[in-house]
Amino acid sequence: MNFNAIETSSLSKVYSSAFGRRKIEALTNLNLIVKPGTIFGFLGPNGAGKTTFVKLLLGITFPTSGGAKILGEDISEYKMKSKIGYLPENHKYPAYLKGSEVLDFYGKLSGMEGINLQKKIDELLDLVKLTQWKKTKVKAYSKGMMQRLGLAQALLNEPELIFLDEPTDGVDPIGRKEIRDILLELKSRSKTIFLNSHLLSEVEQITDRVGILNKGKLIREGTVKELTQKREEYKLSLEGAAVDDINKNPDNDLHLTNIGDGYFNLKVSDSNELNKVLDMLRSKGIMIKEMVQQKDSLEDIFISLINESEKGAMK
Amino acid sequence: MKNMLTITWYSLREAMARKVFISFFIISLLTIILVALILNMAGFVKVFTSGTQNNFTEAFTTMEMMFISPITLIGILMSIFSSASFIPIMLEKGNIDLLLSKPISREQLLVGKYLGGVLVVFINIALLIIGVWLTFSIKFSVWNFGFLLTIFTITFTFSILYSIIVLLGIATKSSAPGMMIAYLIFLIVSPVLYSAKYKLGVFIQSSLIKGIVDFVYYLFPKTSELMGKTTYDLATGSGITNYQPILTSFGFLILTLGIAVVIFRKKDF
Ligand SMILES: Nc1ncnc2c1ncn2[C@@H]1O[C@H](COP(=O)(O)OP(=O)(O)OP(=O)(O)O)[C@@H](O)[C@H]1O
Ligand SMILES: [Mg+2]
Repeated sequence: MNFNAIETSSLSKVYSSAFGRRKIEALTNLNLIVKPGTIFGFLGPNGAGKTTFVKLLLGITFPTSGGAKILGEDISEYKMKSKIGYLPENHKYPAYLKGSEVLDFYGKLSGMEGINLQKKIDELLDLVKLTQWKKTKVKAYSKGMMQRLGLAQALLNEPELIFLDEPTDGVDPIGRKEIRDILLELKSRSKTIFLNSHLLSEVEQITDRVGILNKGKLIREGTVKELTQKREEYKLSLEGAAVDDINKNPDNDLHLTNIGDGYFNLKVSDSNELNKVLDMLRSKGIMIKEMVQQKDSLEDIFISLINESEKGAMK
Repeated sequence: MKNMLTITWYSLREAMARKVFISFFIISLLTIILVALILNMAGFVKVFTSGTQNNFTEAFTTMEMMFISPITLIGILMSIFSSASFIPIMLEKGNIDLLLSKPISREQLLVGKYLGGVLVVFINIALLIIGVWLTFSIKFSVWNFGFLLTIFTITFTFSILYSIIVLLGIATKSSAPGMMIAYLIFLIVSPVLYSAKYKLGVFIQSSLIKGIVDFVYYLFPKTSELMGKTTYDLATGSGITNYQPILTSFGFLILTLGIAVVIFRKKDF
């Protein structure tokens, strides 16, 4: 593919309430590029505009200004949606249909038919572990089962680009792992996945890049690695008679702080200094039992970025 | 096109699931049984078998119409009631999002849903009319096929009212306004305008008032004429004697649906 999976230019959306008296800026001048074959995680607090963004791209809502292309085509082009899969956040299926009929309905709407469709339905029900429930009306499905069915629905037409709005919402831990595996498998077949989520630890595990959205503005975008860069900070577990010395004499040159339970925090400026400290510890006969480099989790970064942006907005 | 038919087909499924067919069917069946019982009273047969052939057909059809008119009236009222929530349900959060994410245009979606509603009513009305017709025909061994054409005028009448329900359903996302306006037009506005134009018209002196009455008359759909004269003419085999109510009402239907499509195309969900 020589075009981007998603490309937006100054995409903005203002919702106006009845009579246009109250305006909500759901999305402001969003510029974002998602490369094909990647998993992109879109993060942000409740009401940040994540769902609005996806709805704009799919023509469910219309932009107030700006524009976007998906799979190289303008978003006003409805036919390209045959290459797209979507799992909405509060999806509702006709309660009177059975699991397999729901897939049949949406499959036909995506332009599939006949034996191909039936095969695909069986295959996907198997993938999301709903084969047993195939002949049960969806009104009897549990929340997690609905979510699994929703995922199957989103994958029916072998989409190139898949939008998932909180796909693991209401799914048990095993199911979540299974969904993660499904997403990674899709990526390995060079599908592009756009994932809206609050579950940062999950996003961290599978995404290539993430964007952080707050109040309709994109405040950070990059790879998970870039965002959660390692710091020159280590957690050490020490043992030996001399350890008490360090405790009694915190004013040492060792940059160590006791954080309890025999653990110490060590801040250095580079590896040279790190090695110097380690040499000193060893020379005092201190035993180093464990050493872990500290890094910010995506959650730490997320919280500090959102706080920063809130402060910025207050000024 | 195929997508549109999928929507139409699944509207039938929806109606079936919401017991529209079964309730309609039971009412139709009861009606047909009632008709059969009444016809079994010997007196009627004697009235019909005397008199000339022409008189006979007319009297026979009048008899059929006497039964069918109140029933179809109820049929239309029931149809409006049972189809009014089709559009609001489609527009519910989580449902419309998914539909719009499929490769189907908004106009196809709306027209497909509209046709679904009309098809549901067509099937129900057809079952009812064919049932009554069979009962009569078997009883009297008279096969008045013209009577079957009333299926179309009645469905057409409904399809006009349904376009109003669709328009207001799209605009308000709820079923009550459309239902109320449809009932209002069907039960009050159309019959009143018909009387104003054709019965009171001769007494109106002022050409301004006359003009206004005419304008309003032509503007609104002529459901009472369609259900009355047009249906009766077809049933008695006189054919369509006046195309005006059909054409102007059809114009109304297209206009209403067109506005619904325009609103739907611009709406955020
Ligand atoms: N149809 C609508 N009409 C008016 N305002 C809306 C509409 N949909 C969303 N909004 C507003 O737009 C903003 C963004 O909403 P959106 O649903 O995109 O957030 P989100 O990031 O998906 O939140 P969540 O994490 O809770 O799903 C919110 O302030 C919301 O109130
Ligand atoms: Mg959301």
